[in-house]
Amino acid sequence: MSDNPNIYKPIRAKLLEVITESPTIKTFVMEPEEDFSFKTGEFIELTVDGIGEAPFTPSSSPLETKKIEVTVMKTGYVTEYMHNMKAGETLGIRGPFGRGYPIEKFYDKEVLILGGGCGFAPIRSLLYSLAAISDKLRKVTLCYGSKTPDECIYKPYVEQLRNTPKFEVLRTVDIPDETWNESVGVATVLLDKVKVDIKNSVAVCCGPPIMMKFGTIRLLELGFNDDQIYLSMEKNMSCGLGKCGHCMMGKYFVCKDGPVFTYDELKNTPSIWE
Amino acid sequence: MKNYYSLLNSDWNSAIDQLLNDYLIYAPIKSNNSMDYEPVNPENISEIVYNIPKPTTPLKTFFLPVKENLTTDNSTKIKRIIIGAPNCDIQGLKILDEIYLDKDYIDSLYKQKRDNTILISSSCFEIQEHCHCMTYGIKPYSKEIADISLSHVDQRIHLEVLSEKGVKFITELKNYASVSNSPETEIKDIELKQSKIEYQIINDNIGLPDYNKTGKIVEKANEEIWKKYSSKCVSCGACAAICPTCTCFLLIDKPNFEKVRQLDACQYPGFERVAGDEDALYELSKRFKNRYFCKYVWKPQKFKSLVCTGCGRCIEACIGKINKNDLFKELAN
Ligand code: SF4
Ligand code: FES
Repeated sequence: MSDNPNIYKPIRAKLLEVITESPTIKTFVMEPEEDFSFKTGEFIELTVDGIGEAPFTPSSSPLETKKIEVTVMKTGYVTEYMHNMKAGETLGIRGPFGRGYPIEKFYDKEVLILGGGCGFAPIRSLLYSLAAISDKLRKVTLCYGSKTPDECIYKPYVEQLRNTPKFEVLRTVDIPDETWNESVGVATVLLDKVKVDIKNSVAVCCGPPIMMKFGTIRLLELGFNDDQIYLSMEKNMSCGLGKCGHCMMGKYFVCKDGPVFTYDELKNTPSIWE
Repeated sequence: MKNYYSLLNSDWNSAIDQLLNDYLIYAPIKSNNSMDYEPVNPENISEIVYNIPKPTTPLKTFFLPVKENLTTDNSTKIKRIIIGAPNCDIQGLKILDEIYLDKDYIDSLYKQKRDNTILISSSCFEIQEHCHCMTYGIKPYSKEIADISLSHVDQRIHLEVLSEKGVKFITELKNYASVSNSPETEIKDIELKQSKIEYQIINDNIGLPDYNKTGKIVEKANEEIWKKYSSKCVSCGACAAICPTCTCFLLIDKPNFEKVRQLDACQYPGFERVAGDEDALYELSKRFKNRYFCKYVWKPQKFKSLVCTGCGRCIEACIGKINKNDLFKELAN
């Protein structure tokens, strides 16, 4: 008899609160019934009982061990169900899976973060982690883009960040309204507005594939090396265990070898932006 | 002294009858035009086919069934003996082991099934039309992974012990039959048969590029090739289903947080569809190409084990009559 645990069996987590972030995005605050911890950038598989499972990178701080949060955009079957869930219901969690951000490598550096849409979710978790070690960092700049001001998520958190020493937040929207007084245009336009000491920097990209693609191109033009750019890849993750084959991207299992990769690791892999 | 034991076929048969008290036993049995693993019972023991390739179903299905409930299944503890797997199938287990016994995430169900199964492979003394194991460096008889390698020669069953489990099996077998060491001359006889078959497989596959070349060929093939060879593909996924090394699966949710694993195939439409309906493998020719890249380029970069064992089942199973070896031969030069 082997006493290996069943890697497919989720642990239960009670839904404590559902926060509406935008018309299509909600944050789910959960309390796992068993000990559960993760490193920033690692992801979990979330089960809606009897319905399905989907991968999410937690948006909460890894330092918070009692509760875990995911921020979910309504895009398909499982997420639609989630959006109808209420506090008190039970979800299932498997994980954490994959390779997250190598934060130790960011020491003594400037961290430039490019995020778009729901890509802010994993980034927020990263920002919490970076804030906890900010004495070891030079500075952290977040460039964030969304479609409309309505869809800019985590507004209170952005305010809080703007008042945090060493942290800077630049935002842009594609379609502004009369209240918007920040940038207009796609997320990459913000890269032209920031001052970075490229030699002593790392860049992190997380968002829709199209933004990651053009973001990476722009970062390379600015002079970043391939191995200074960290990409948070999204693929059709299912098992999270490097077994089901759904997340294969060239020779990589995104779920296990990633989801965070340097551009250097991926540049020879075909169709990474698809 | 080689690790060979032998016994009379009739004694072997009655030993199997006894072993049925403690094990579920599967072995190849012929019916009409096909041959496949069947559960052995006292009535069909004498119909077991030895040393002729190959069961229709690949060996993998004993460890990764088409569908299984991963949270409630408890058949994993059943002790099994599987008789008659050809070496191509046995070698196919290597990549499965690499994936499912990966020490980071051991699949406990798979492991229990592996642990509780005694594998008795059988040397191929004949070949089938599409057998090409030797091209990929796999011999038509086992020297590893299996617990026992069986050869049936002149009314005697010879058992070459390959593992610790195999040693135990012989000890157990001795409770039921008189087992002796195979005489050197008979071992020579078996080895002669084996090398004849090796030679025949090589001969039958002249011009077929080996596993060191297949990756380069796949990488160099242009879109026209993929379009041409996939033009008769109907996305039935038979090639992946009967492949001894294809193991991709879907997880299906059932109430009470149960998970069901169902084997999947990258040839099915929607294999890579993500929430929001984006699908990198929407086009059939891309899915077709994906399978070749997976087997001959990507997995070889990632894993140590072969991901095509040359069993030829995909060629036999394809209703569009697509022959991967035609593709490799066409692009060989
Ligand atoms: S491919 Fe080789 S090992 Fe497999 S059945 Fe044919 S001869 Fe036997
Ligand atoms: S999600 Fe299953 S292999 Fe990566």
